[in-house]
Amino acid sequence: MKENNMKIGKVILWIVLIIVAIIQLFPLIWLVDFSLGSSNEMFTNGLLIIPEKIRWDNYVKAFVDGNFLHYLRNSVLINTLAVIFVVIISIMAAFACQRMKWKLSGLVSTLLVMGMMIPIHATLLPNYKIYSAFHLTDTIWALLIPYVAFSLPQGMFLMTGFIQAVPKELEEAAVMDGCGIYRIVFQIVTPLLKPSISTVAIMTFLNNWNEFMMASTYLSTPTWKTLPFSVLEFTGEYSSNYAVQFAVMALTAAPAVIVYVVLNKHITKGVAMGAVKG
Amino acid sequence: MNDKLKSLKYIYKREEKEMKKKIIATLLTAAMMVSTLAGCGNTDSSTSTSNDVQSTTQEEAPAADDTADDTAPAAAEDTAASGEAVTIKLFSNLPDRKNGQGLVEQMIIDEYMAANSNVTIEVEALDEEAYKTKFKAYAMDGMPDVVSIWGQPSFLDEVLDAGVLAELNEADYADYGFIAGSLEGFKKDGKLYGLPRNTDIQIIYYNQKMFDDNGWAVPATYDELMSVCSDIKAAGYTPIAMDGGDGWPMACFLTDILVKVAGTDYADIVRNAIATGDFSAPELQEATQILVDSAAAGMFQVGYDSQDYGTAMNLFTNGQAAMFCMGSWECSMALNEDIQEDIRNNIRAFTLPVVDGGKGGANDIAAWNGGGYAVSASSAVKDEAVKFLNYMYQPDKLSKYGWENGVGMSAQDQTAYLTGNETDLQKQVMDILKNATSVSGTPINDCGPSAFKTSIESEIQGVSNGSTSVEDFLAAIGAACE
Amino acid sequence: MKKLYSNKLVIFSLVLPGVLVFLFAVLAPICLSVYYGFTDYTGMGEAHLIGWDNYVKLFQDSAFGRSLKNSLLLAIGFICIQHPIAIVVAAVLDKLQGRAEGIFRCIYFIPNVISVAVIAYLWKFIYNPDFGLLNNVLSAFGYQGKINWLSQQNAIWSVLIVLIWHGFGWGMLIYYTGIKNIDPVLYEAASIDGASWWTTFFRITLPLMKPVIQINVTMAIISALKQMETVYLLTNGGPNNSTQFAANYLYQQAFKAFKYGYGNAIGVVFIIICILVTVALNNIFRDKQEA
Repeated sequence: MKENNMKIGKVILWIVLIIVAIIQLFPLIWLVDFSLGSSNEMFTNGLLIIPEKIRWDNYVKAFVDGNFLHYLRNSVLINTLAVIFVVIISIMAAFACQRMKWKLSGLVSTLLVMGMMIPIHATLLPNYKIYSAFHLTDTIWALLIPYVAFSLPQGMFLMTGFIQAVPKELEEAAVMDGCGIYRIVFQIVTPLLKPSISTVAIMTFLNNWNEFMMASTYLSTPTWKTLPFSVLEFTGEYSSNYAVQFAVMALTAAPAVIVYVVLNKHITKGVAMGAVKG
Repeated sequence: MNDKLKSLKYIYKREEKEMKKKIIATLLTAAMMVSTLAGCGNTDSSTSTSNDVQSTTQEEAPAADDTADDTAPAAAEDTAASGEAVTIKLFSNLPDRKNGQGLVEQMIIDEYMAANSNVTIEVEALDEEAYKTKFKAYAMDGMPDVVSIWGQPSFLDEVLDAGVLAELNEADYADYGFIAGSLEGFKKDGKLYGLPRNTDIQIIYYNQKMFDDNGWAVPATYDELMSVCSDIKAAGYTPIAMDGGDGWPMACFLTDILVKVAGTDYADIVRNAIATGDFSAPELQEATQILVDSAAAGMFQVGYDSQDYGTAMNLFTNGQAAMFCMGSWECSMALNEDIQEDIRNNIRAFTLPVVDGGKGGANDIAAWNGGGYAVSASSAVKDEAVKFLNYMYQPDKLSKYGWENGVGMSAQDQTAYLTGNETDLQKQVMDILKNATSVSGTPINDCGPSAFKTSIESEIQGVSNGSTSVEDFLAAIGAACE
Repeated sequence: MKKLYSNKLVIFSLVLPGVLVFLFAVLAPICLSVYYGFTDYTGMGEAHLIGWDNYVKLFQDSAFGRSLKNSLLLAIGFICIQHPIAIVVAAVLDKLQGRAEGIFRCIYFIPNVISVAVIAYLWKFIYNPDFGLLNNVLSAFGYQGKINWLSQQNAIWSVLIVLIWHGFGWGMLIYYTGIKNIDPVLYEAASIDGASWWTTFFRITLPLMKPVIQINVTMAIISALKQMETVYLLTNGGPNNSTQFAANYLYQQAFKAFKYGYGNAIGVVFIIICILVTVALNNIFRDKQEA
């Protein structure tokens, strides 16, 4: 009797998990499926189609006309730089506020973390003005600065917590050995923060990788445009060819999904660590 | 206006043939006819320009260098001659560079760069909504050198007030063949700031094969339109595909209804309403009510009020909808190879049928000169930019290439470029213009300030889907006029 | 040591980059917004100070009210629909062992790493009444009508579904981590006592998850307030402002309607609301924890 109950429970459990998995994945399968057909097949009634002919040329078009590699390069470069800046700046600031002795440490720390409350889109209008005045629009800085600025509060918040956990004795020993502050920060403390750094890096990456509002507001030429933006551009160009639009969407989504699936464990751990703390 | 020539795929290979006299005559009449096309916000809309259509010459295109702007022709030529590198930034609302109007624009750019090796033209292209947003952002701090603009109060008033566009010398364009009156929307205090690209007509495209197969007839009155729509619906198709998500196509449709209701009074009624903020005129109420009733009767596809341009057009071009309500710039659908042949070859058009008791006749049509180009006042290479602008508007460039690519009617005299190979759809649209007894000028949503435009394009969704009453709708758009 | 750790110059050099970024990218734009919020600036030409006019207008603006109401609806939707499902799925997932656990966790999170740009366009197709996935699924189950998912009445809920779908993995993952952090000894004790899965869930899992739930609820409310990108691409606030949100509305007003000054006024009020809500939520939860 009890065993039977257990079995039924197991079955229900699996059914629930599988249904949720289908809901989460099916739209993406649908996307890939239709990206391989021709546009007219979109108007058939079935859930999925078996394309009359697999149309790889949709992807060729998406890849070539969509300037995929160029946009991918931009995305990778901008996001990597943003991560590096956020990590370094947040370690430095967090260390100074957490460990060093000065009157305003609490105030500065609060201010920097307060940025978390500011809705990023409220700064779209004034920032456009500011960047134009400094001739930063349409340069890499127009994306880097806001990306760093709006990931920094979170980075700062997490780093402060992590640095707190670093034993003071280590630093004391380092001071005895005659280390300066910079050496303590970058050679003693930073290596200890490795898991925290990966958490901050992952959070920053996830925040910024898919951002397009600022990209579409601050950039004009394709020089620094990022991957999500290419979707916007492309759907305009190929509005009567749904299959090619689908191919672009699938292609744009692919890098992040692949990286996620490969690094799944680390990313999950990083996000979990960051999210529960934050 | 909206030259959203998205997705018009075809191969550009048409050979220019000898002009057909009959068609020339037709188009000449048409061109003269359109002399009343002008922005309704312009009080001096009736004054004619210095351009005389019939005196236009276009046997020979002037060489590029001859068209340098009068203000500094020598300087411009010097630069060209000395080969000093010049970069002109073009900001365009035509993101599709391989089809339709975007292709035409790109062809001219490529030709110009080939002829002037020292000039590089950088294009930034966004589709219309994004374009207008970015345009305003640019207007704050420095524009690209050559920009797409719209010769309508909703767009141009604030832009001209801010002084971001360079004044052009109207006399330079005397022999460019601009249709009389087409420059009016681009003027302020008698000074010219831009040049029009197209003549747009509001029409309803229909799938002739589908009509014939099902025994549906092209309606002659609005009641017939309603009844044919219910027949189409009963047969399981969408009667009219409507891009209701964007707001402006519905406002253009409302303009068309209003033209049929109010006839030639259209422009005055709209001008008065916008000036006073009082939209209670009976014609406005009646036209809005017709729109509401049509939508309630299921004239448009399910969810039309949230669907975009591409979606609506694809319903039509994939045979899901029997009709498609859009401007004449979509004529190039007939040449779009992405569209299945049996649909592509069967696209025809009619103008909105007359409304029972309305003052507008079958030949009082909704048409206007909207989109065009201008040069930035703050451009560092203004002379070169004007030179390029003039190059584009040489009659054998924008106008000719546009016609050959099925883009629609330009704002210039196109008689010289008739090939006799025009699609039936092109000929039909030409006839519509030729037979017109009056044209409306700027559509209602573009007649007021941009706050009014934003308001009506959003509110019209609410009134057409029945969640706002006609009175509330008219009051709300009136309030937006301040 | 003490001297070393209170060297003003060193402190200054460490904090400077962070403070500069804050001043330039956060504080400066806010100050500029406050200034423009008091002007009639159209985005071009000259700006004139007009006092509180923009703010007076804002409080009478039904579209702005609608956008706040939408944020509230969204937050309620997150809390009442997404989170219960996420908690239950997380708890169920916790019971699985081995590879399956990892695979499901991975699948649930995938939509989260895809750009909103892709998601929004994809769902536009899914919702299409004529050829969209959703109506095709319904017709596969025998329903023959065409549901207009993005109609004025339905649109806000359809937006909510997209956001729930997109953010599900994130919420689930946090709950999952929270559950993993619960001492297994408690579960062992419960199973010795013969408690059923549901009893364990309600008596042990939920109470111990309280801090995690509070974090998630706070984040849900804030993300509902800050919503912009999905709406911008999916409906752009329409039909007739029924899916309008503050961020999208200020963008539209500034860049579409030539009301840059008004847009900035919306921005200022928007920032104030976000700060107030965050502070209020923190206080509410802190009080509860202490009590």
